Amino acid sequence: MSGTLAWALVALGLAVVVVRRRSVAVGLVTAQALLLAGVATAEAESADDVAAALALAVRGVALAALFLAIVARTREPRPVRAGVAPFVRAGLAILLALAFVWLVPPVGLETEQSERAMLALVAFGAAVVATRRATLHQLLGIVMVENGLVLGAIELPGGASLAIELGVALDLTLIAVVAVVFHERIFAEFGSGDTAVLESLRD
Amino acid sequence: MTSRETLALATVALPVLTGLVVAVVPRRAVQPAAIAGLVLSGGIAIALALVALTGPADLEVTDWVVVDAAAGLMVGVIGLVGLASALVSPAYLETATSGLFGARHGTRAYYAALAAFVAVLTAVPLAGNLGAAWLLVEATTAASAILVGFSGKPRALEAGWKYLLLTSLGLGFSLLGIVLLASATPGSSLDALSWRSLSADVPAGETTLVAFLLIVVGLAAKIGWAPVHNWLPDAHSEAPPPVSALLSAALLPAVLLVAWRVERALEPAVGESTGRTVLIGFGLVSLAVAIPFLWRPLAWKRLLAYSSLEHMGVIALGVGFATPLALAGVAVHIAGHAVAKALGFYAATPLLGHEPRAAGHAVTGIARTQPSLGATMGISLGALAGLPPSPLFLSEILVIAGGFEAGREWAAAATAVLLALGFVGLAHALVETTGGRPHRRDRSHAPGLRPVVALGGASTVILLALAAAAFWLPDTDIVEALARGIG
Repeated sequence: MSGTLAWALVALGLAVVVVRRRSVAVGLVTAQALLLAGVATAEAESADDVAAALALAVRGVALAALFLAIVARTREPRPVRAGVAPFVRAGLAILLALAFVWLVPPVGLETEQSERAMLALVAFGAAVVATRRATLHQLLGIVMVENGLVLGAIELPGGASLAIELGVALDLTLIAVVAVVFHERIFAEFGSGDTAVLESLRD
Repeated sequence: MTSRETLALATVALPVLTGLVVAVVPRRAVQPAAIAGLVLSGGIAIALALVALTGPADLEVTDWVVVDAAAGLMVGVIGLVGLASALVSPAYLETATSGLFGARHGTRAYYAALAAFVAVLTAVPLAGNLGAAWLLVEATTAASAILVGFSGKPRALEAGWKYLLLTSLGLGFSLLGIVLLASATPGSSLDALSWRSLSADVPAGETTLVAFLLIVVGLAAKIGWAPVHNWLPDAHSEAPPPVSALLSAALLPAVLLVAWRVERALEPAVGESTGRTVLIGFGLVSLAVAIPFLWRPLAWKRLLAYSSLEHMGVIALGVGFATPLALAGVAVHIAGHAVAKALGFYAATPLLGHEPRAAGHAVTGIARTQPSLGATMGISLGALAGLPPSPLFLSEILVIAGGFEAGREWAAAATAVLLALGFVGLAHALVETTGGRPHRRDRSHAPGLRPVVALGGASTVILLALAAAAFWLPDTDIVEALARGIG
């Protein structure tokens, strides 16, 4: 994978960390998934690789449709505020990504850029989960972590197993569907998808 | 296909079939169909466990399926708890409504999700490679999160959301470790991830060590090992009691078995001492974090949840010490904890009907206001505390002795001290919960008590049998097979 594509994936990830609107974040994560599907198709060496790339594209589009439908069904009166300001979030995410790059030794993916991009996406996803309060943003953080791991699977020298790649896509879709059920119910119960309202369980 | 493979396939396929049947049958047939299917599934799982444990030397290992003594033990536990959870579910559903699915679809959704959960959970210990095991563990999250939030109450939604998010994030890190491992291993990815191939082919080095740590830390978030256990007390306390029983008694040790298999498979690459020290570290931290909560007056289900943290710590220590004595302790502990903990959670349904305050507060004097319920709770808590003749008393002794046998004197001594402190906390809770001064003096009805009391009687017999088994188990082929592993 070229350095430009790797940087494009990272830039999309960083944008998800800072944007405020849920629909924009959904668009960015979907663009990331489709870019990954494009890379997977371009680098496909067998029918299995093409099938995995296709599954990735289908997953990306299906999740986008699901998330946009849920955004439309659960309109927030105003965007849920994050507990941390955008620039601070971006700074934290970059610091976490640098820490990952520093801590994880070279792993032997096709290029050094793809290794760093994979770790950056995992770090950005974790940062989104930790610093955003909107349920949908937190879910998008999980999807971004998985996008990073998909990049790693695509760039494995021998390629990843089709069964495992399809399984991961299916698992993530299941998790997203369950999370959407929770999001809708939380919205119905509290009038907002703000996880700040979910703080009653303490010891 | 061998008899073990056939049984393994049936054990997983039957609950899947049950879920499908439950989804399409008329409404009045949902509950009978679900219970019949899950009881039959449980029976077949127990049969597979008996086959695996009576012939522990006969391994069944392919790239996809493994039926060894450890898998047999776990499948037996899952079958037993799944069966019992199905039997007590009608009593729970009589007292509950589903805010998540509405009154009309609640029962169908509950049983369909329960059958799906049991199916993927049963498949976890039978997975023959790391990739499949990861997929199945992740799938348990989707199925069980629906059940955790089933009531749709604000606290259940909070617990379900935390569970879904934290365990998915943890498993994301595990998957990163698997990608690193695959990159470091020669050969095509699926073959390279089978337990035997990992053991034989993974090269030593920094990448493998980092991959191992990421995989185990990620799985720790699902096992509920401290310090990544935050979802555990919430999910266990807010889930329907039959589901809490499955989460604590079956899911946690099943995922722990995956972590153990990873450690065993990567021992040649990361070093025996390093791998085992990581497990011992998680065990000691989990015990240390759990103890202060066991000393506090907590709501019944939250107390049981923190006790799960303690007991997963004990099992981590046992597999970390890895001597025959410690592994005998692990086997008894997994089975004894499952029986005692499931009984405790099942008692929560009649308890909440009898004393609604129990949802959020510690209750006292239940044996005075409802003697049979108090006795059932007493059996559960006494066994979990390790009060002799509980099998958990003997298993903890075996684990500690195994620690000294392994030359890990400091860890074994710390374990003994922490377990003694935990015992004091739970023994105090036992006295207060059963014999303390009650908040109410009337002997009001406790809904769903009869099946729970019946299960209490059966559990007592099983616990005593396990206590007896603890004396002869260390010298058996079962422990030898556990020590040998798949390789």
